[in-house]
Amino acid sequence: MTKPPGLGIVEGLALTLRRFFAPKATIRYPEVPADVPHRFRGRLQLLYDEYGTLKCETCFQCAQACPVECIDMGGFDTRGRYHVHWGPPETYAERREESALRRSGRTVPDPAYEHWTPIDPAPLEAILEAHEYDPARLLEILEATQAAYGYLPVAALRRISQATGAWYAMIYGTASYYRQFRFAPPGDSAGDAADADSSGGAAARRPSEDAYLAALATALGGRGVGQP
Amino acid sequence: MTRILATPAAWPRLLLARAAAAEPTDLTAAVRDGAFVALRSAIRELGPTATIATLADSGLRGRGGAAFPTAEKWRIAAEQPADRRFVVVNAYGADPASATDRALLERDPYAVVEGAAIAAFAVGAEEAIVAVRAEATEARNALERAVAAAEAAGYLGPDVLDSGLTIRVRVAPVTGAYMLGEETVLLKALEGKRGQPEQRPPYPAVRGLFGAPTVVNNAATIALVPWILRNGPTAFTGLGDPTVPGTWLVALRGPVGEGVAEVPTGISLRELVDLAGGVGPGRSVKAILVGGPSGGLLPPDLLDTPYLPAALRAAGAHVGSGAVVIADERSCVVDLARLLTGYCSAEACGKTIPCRIGTRRLFEIAERIATGRPRPTDLELAGDLAADMVASALCDHERLATLPLTSALRYFRTELDDHILRSSCPAGVCRPIAVAAGRGS
Repeated sequence: MTKPPGLGIVEGLALTLRRFFAPKATIRYPEVPADVPHRFRGRLQLLYDEYGTLKCETCFQCAQACPVECIDMGGFDTRGRYHVHWGPPETYAERREESALRRSGRTVPDPAYEHWTPIDPAPLEAILEAHEYDPARLLEILEATQAAYGYLPVAALRRISQATGAWYAMIYGTASYYRQFRFAPPGDSAGDAADADSSGGAAARRPSEDAYLAALATALGGRGVGQP
Repeated sequence: MTRILATPAAWPRLLLARAAAAEPTDLTAAVRDGAFVALRSAIRELGPTATIATLADSGLRGRGGAAFPTAEKWRIAAEQPADRRFVVVNAYGADPASATDRALLERDPYAVVEGAAIAAFAVGAEEAIVAVRAEATEARNALERAVAAAEAAGYLGPDVLDSGLTIRVRVAPVTGAYMLGEETVLLKALEGKRGQPEQRPPYPAVRGLFGAPTVVNNAATIALVPWILRNGPTAFTGLGDPTVPGTWLVALRGPVGEGVAEVPTGISLRELVDLAGGVGPGRSVKAILVGGPSGGLLPPDLLDTPYLPAALRAAGAHVGSGAVVIADERSCVVDLARLLTGYCSAEACGKTIPCRIGTRRLFEIAERIATGRPRPTDLELAGDLAADMVASALCDHERLATLPLTSALRYFRTELDDHILRSSCPAGVCRPIAVAAGRGS
């Protein structure tokens, strides 16, 4: 159906006229400050301290706290040892297809975790199976994983994240919080003294507690526990 | 096994009554001593409401430090509309220098198991979780054996005492952080998350483990419940101080002796010092650290302070982990305050900025004073910073971590001044001072 001749231009002019009298959207920026939501914080940026080192401790708290899960991190941790890389799965094209693959019943490849030192997945799969892929039993899963591999390899953490559906930031954050977990094989020269100290088997030794008790004994005049 | 200190025979023994038992995990012997009588009477005679009412009459208050009325907590959890509830027993014993929870589990695991089952019955929970320190193998084994034996005998499980009720007690070994002593942090650990405290309210009794109403009680609180139901609330109210009736478990440590003791509430600090054997001949008490790593350092003038939450808070200390450490004049208060603040700073979980950075700065101030490089504004700064931290605190760790240094400022000003103005340490502990001042050997 064709429009009657001339109607098009009348419609166009009517729009022009309406817009002409409508309130203007242009903000005279420096004179009039923009109206932004009060929780808007601008572009995310990592700060450097006066020595030129990143102030970011890669503690994952921002990634965990972000309500819209928009924070993504990548790089090395503060000791330059562990390559950490995560973020919401939907950020990555290769992960975006996961749901499609899962729906079609095929195994979901996770090329991201294959980049790290490969591990034998069999013990981990058995552990995950035994714990019913339940993220609420994460601590048990992590302890069993450490018992099986001697430490928590990045590839294992990735696989736990993928299988349980728990966020990588959450898993790494949890694993780095509790002292009994380590991310390097025991005796690894890259591991620091505390890590090397805590390599005494599955029952976690607490270096800070031992140090505290020893220091308390010294402060009390060199009398250890049970020595008058 | 943890050492138990001898107490006067006239003192009531509620928690460590079975301390002399040859095999604490022997169920037959425990039942002969009255175990599970209270659970039976709660289920068969009292019912949930009357059980909570009995506890309310007894005036039982939490032994975890805050002294919150236990019955009130249970009532709140029981009243919440929810399809599942939990009972969590905090037997973690965060303070490395205090073994009270450990001693209790080693000597009388059935009291904790029975108390947990009663709590689960009273609030309508099907599962009670006892969080125990994974390294405390002896306590953990005793508890696990006790749970297994009680379950086999039908005191726990799918059909408790033929009542048709399901009450399970699960032992959850946790480890790895000092902060696990805080109730919301412990719940996070049980959920498999990073241990950081949550804003309260809502309290765990309203929204706790996995979002369900959760009663979190200290192991000693839970262990008192069976005794109260067995002997009646009036018998309990008559013990100790009327404001917080009953008995405490304290971990005493002094130059002469150390160990765990059960003492009636309201006992004075002086009696605690005597219980630990005093400080030995020819020496005098210099400071008493009350409350564990985040405790306050109290001077000998305050030895008559009763060991009660309100009185200790007023004096600048707290019940906390139940640890009482006695230092004689060979110890330096500044060095102790530095050490304690450093430990609290190292163990901070890092969730809130006032705690993460504030405890660190407090430690640096204490370190500067102890090593003889104080800045002129340091004392004022410490006071201001501590006040700000207390005002903006999220959890009690943050609030209490200021205590070692502020109590040292409050009671041991002369000793601090010796360090700052005269660059000398009266106890001779802080050695680098004289070197820093340029007149050392």
